[in-house]
Amino acid sequence: MNWIPFELHTHTPHSDGRHSLLEMCREAKKLGLGGIALTDHNTVSGMTEAEAAQEETGVAIVPGMEWTTFYGHMLTLGAPYCEWRDLGPEDIHRGIERVHQAGGIVGIAHPYSLGSPICTGCHWEYTIKDWSDIDYIEVWHEVMPSYKNHNVPAWNLWTSLLNEGYRIPATAGRDWHHSGQDDSWSAFTYIGLPEPDDRYSAESVVQAIRRGRSVISMGPMLHVEALAGDARYFIGDIVEDSAGRLSSMRLLIQVQPFAAAERYGDRMQVTKLVVESNIGELADRPWNEQEAGIELYVPLEGIRWLRLKAMGVLLGGWTTIAFTNPIYVNREQKNETEGETE
Amino acid sequence: MNELLTIEGTLTPLSSKTHITYQFHIDEPPARLAIEFQYSPKVLEDSEISRPLIMEAIGKYVDPSAADLQKQQWERFTPLQNLLTLSVDDPEGFRGSAHRHPPEQRHTLAVGSASPGFIPGVLPAGIWRITISVHCVVTPACTYRLSVYKGRDAE
Repeated sequence: MNWIPFELHTHTPHSDGRHSLLEMCREAKKLGLGGIALTDHNTVSGMTEAEAAQEETGVAIVPGMEWTTFYGHMLTLGAPYCEWRDLGPEDIHRGIERVHQAGGIVGIAHPYSLGSPICTGCHWEYTIKDWSDIDYIEVWHEVMPSYKNHNVPAWNLWTSLLNEGYRIPATAGRDWHHSGQDDSWSAFTYIGLPEPDDRYSAESVVQAIRRGRSVISMGPMLHVEALAGDARYFIGDIVEDSAGRLSSMRLLIQVQPFAAAERYGDRMQVTKLVVESNIGELADRPWNEQEAGIELYVPLEGIRWLRLKAMGVLLGGWTTIAFTNPIYVNREQKNETEGETE
Repeated sequence: MNELLTIEGTLTPLSSKTHITYQFHIDEPPARLAIEFQYSPKVLEDSEISRPLIMEAIGKYVDPSAADLQKQQWERFTPLQNLLTLSVDDPEGFRGSAHRHPPEQRHTLAVGSASPGFIPGVLPAGIWRITISVHCVVTPACTYRLSVYKGRDAE
């Protein structure tokens, strides 16, 4: 598996961004990004510059758009322009269907930003009748996302949906409008792809995001593999134990320092790893960079999802530095199984 | 350049979250279309009007635990602004939009080029539509003017 850092929320002068696509890709390369998604507000015309920018910088460009509507902002990836202007606050599923029909996926952008008239349509107000229609949620928005107030309810929304049984991935998005002197740090969405060059295939990137094969991080990459029975599972996978035969799984955890780490120096350091799940924290371990990795046995009873969270020091504060999308468990829970066998 | 259309109108805050679409016919494919669009005012200067609007938005959108603090700092969110954006559809479908803040805009569409936000290509004869998306009007009145021109060459 190749984990390629992407920036999934960007703008250019084709909407209200202040850097050209080429300028942004040059900056992305400096930051160590392997790809970006171009998500201009309500247009896709910026893609006419994509081939040249990708060729010069090597940064992969995934086509997308930010539906910048009156009732919410919705990111689309892997689809051409899809119509939004005829939809009301109760109609979002009709809009999502259009994106899905066109081969794309949809994600709710910054669901808890302030709305109109402070930021028009920025707060999500569409009625969602079926959360399984939503392909991802931008849980971390803007630079220094773990310190932003509006990301707290987004994190809680995501966690409650996971607890309700929805398998909705989280992403990060800088909402990148200009490549100026701003030295604030953005988070990356590492996307797990079978081959390194798969990042140039929008379809592969979209597919990986849709299935939650991704890790959100200010820098370090979190590797989590689950070994259950004789099978090996990665982030985004579903541990299959529908018969409830397995009692536990083994988790292999590693923290890989960010390749371009020199820009962080000692201002960012992971000091603790937490394994969270639908039944609460499963593990809470101190971490230092000298460690090779952690191995944990986790009982499967009651587990429907688990994710790894890395905490630590970030610019003088103590906060979340990275988190994985879940590994899910598909298993008859014990009391249900008993009911069937009686 | 031949003028195809000029429209003026006045909006009030009640027009927030509405679209105004002008539909017109082009009989012969032109080499180029130019669109001029302006609206005014851009900014709501009156803090007597801004303050309750900002307070209402904070009450509606911010978690109660943080709302009081945000309300104390309500002036951070001034000045409130009007936002009208333009999009264009040709007889075949979407031809682009300009989602950005400047209240005076000029856009062109031609076979080989187009202004940022718009998609270059042939300009077919038939019914065209220009839509003004009224994201937000906060001033008591907001006037707009939209003009469309067609040209024989890339002048």
